[in-house]
Amino acid sequence: MKARLRFDKQRTAEPIISTVILKTKAPINILRAEVDESTGEVLIEIPDEKAESTLAAFKQMGVSIQVGAFIEISRQRCIDCGHCITICPVEAISAEKDLTVNIDLEKCVNCGACVDCCPTRAISMLQ
Amino acid sequence: MKTKRTIEEINEKIKKGEATVVTAEEMTEIVKSQGVEVAARDVDVVTTGTFGAMCSSGVFLNFGHSDPPIKIENLTLNGVEAYHGNAAVDAYLGATKMHPEKRFEYGGGHVIEDLVSGKEVELIATAYGTDCYPRKSVRTTITIEDLNQAILCNPRNAYQRYNAATNGRDELIYTYMGKLLPNFGNATYSGSGELNPLTNDPDYETIGVGTRIFLGGGIGYVTGSGTQHDPRTGFGTLMVQGDLKSMNPRFLRGGSFTNYGTTLYVGLGIPIPILNEELAKKTGISDEEIKTNLLDYGVPRRSRPIMKDTDYAELKSGKITLRDRAIPVTALSSLKLARDVASTLKRWIEEGKFLLTSPQERLPDSGALKPMKISKETIFAQNIMIPAVTCTADEDIDTVARRIVEQNVNHVVVVTPAGTLSGIVTSFDVTRAVALRERKLSSIMTRQVVTASPDEPVESCARKMKKHDISALPVIDAQKNILGIVTSERISTLFGEYQ
Repeated sequence: MKARLRFDKQRTAEPIISTVILKTKAPINILRAEVDESTGEVLIEIPDEKAESTLAAFKQMGVSIQVGAFIEISRQRCIDCGHCITICPVEAISAEKDLTVNIDLEKCVNCGACVDCCPTRAISMLQ
Repeated sequence: MKTKRTIEEINEKIKKGEATVVTAEEMTEIVKSQGVEVAARDVDVVTTGTFGAMCSSGVFLNFGHSDPPIKIENLTLNGVEAYHGNAAVDAYLGATKMHPEKRFEYGGGHVIEDLVSGKEVELIATAYGTDCYPRKSVRTTITIEDLNQAILCNPRNAYQRYNAATNGRDELIYTYMGKLLPNFGNATYSGSGELNPLTNDPDYETIGVGTRIFLGGGIGYVTGSGTQHDPRTGFGTLMVQGDLKSMNPRFLRGGSFTNYGTTLYVGLGIPIPILNEELAKKTGISDEEIKTNLLDYGVPRRSRPIMKDTDYAELKSGKITLRDRAIPVTALSSLKLARDVASTLKRWIEEGKFLLTSPQERLPDSGALKPMKISKETIFAQNIMIPAVTCTADEDIDTVARRIVEQNVNHVVVVTPAGTLSGIVTSFDVTRAVALRERKLSSIMTRQVVTASPDEPVESCARKMKKHDISALPVIDAQKNILGIVTSERISTLFGEYQ
């Protein structure tokens, strides 16, 4: 499963992820990490069987966690042009046979590259 | 016997519910599998459709008079400026006019969508006041119902075909052809190919002045050939108008192109009566037969280099082969909604709700697209570049520092022994190296150099410098040979000369 971790300013210097990996022995895959002046945000993938213990360990260390979908296409706004398909770096977006455009949330790494290419602003990142 | 029929005969069949109507995609299949003769005999009407960003779109609006009345001088609708150079309460709102703060996120196209959706729109108008129209300001909310007229009027719609776009620069660019990744990372195109209206009637036999069409989900008319109509090269266009009040937001949608502008997506479909076998053959056109070019939009010039000849079948396949590499390509227009336009129009005709019209006048089959006449000479990088002061990466910093002082420059271009570009060093880099006691040039030089090509317009050079916050661009050819350098000082001098 995928989870989005948010660290506050004080915690960005600490080796939180390594600590959790050592503790839970979960092979965490870091899909994307972004650190700026005020926060750090990391998107990780955890094997399902280790999900519960890993998330609990992060929570214990004061990290805020979000799981589930982070991006969505508004069916009402989307015109199914498919421009986002060419932009996605992980090929998570594709068109079905009837040309309807869909995002595969399993593959999506939440980078947001598709958001500003959408001519009808149908794609949004969930905060 | 060769099939021949008139528009009047087709309309009689439509009224009786007996007309055979197919979409242009279906017609292509029929012609391919059963031949032109059978297709001409069996099919009465072929419906076409396109759904794309059509920047040359807008609405004429009439608000009615307030009491006391106002002769509007300046006008905004939801904050977007409308053009008011008509009578007291008439205005034209263009799709590409952007909201001053929301910029690319909201513009005229979005206001048009809001109006069609029945949403309330805020109107703010000011005036200087006259003896007969004394009111100086008005602020109100309106819906499309409150307007006397709302007429969609688009001077250039439904391009017969369009170029495909890619980007050869080593940086991401945002264009009216969408977001183009560096180094030919993706490609985009526009148009519905074999579903396109003019492509199915390339000699403009049935589409002309007065042709009744599907426009934005309602009824519209062709009022003539569009601006930039260029039939000889297969780039015909149409001018169209229709009653906005009859339209549907599904087929009329505001659009945003990041760092470029706003627009209006328009659904447009035209029925083509199959009057003879020739028209059956023409409407049987397939995507493979509709050729276009893939252009490098990384080159900021009017004539962009053609990277490859292509066709709509390749473009619709999702991958385009360029230099032995398959790059992802998709449309910016919507093929799905273009199909919806063609099949909705088909249904209207089958149900007897939509009758065909004969053109009152044919569209011109000649006329060419001329470039803009520029009275002032355009300046390119090669016109303002100065000889570059160079060094090699193995020289020590003291030597380079002396060269900067002697030659009175701020930039030294680092070259390979063969004389090609390998980096750049600024006077600030050298100062910092001295402060940090760094001795080696190779450790302070910038290797990712932003460059210009000799035929790059000076405006483009200035944009690059601003974007990357730098003050000079080495000018190089395709082999990376140093031709010169364009500096911000040189551009400032030039600007001074032109004042």
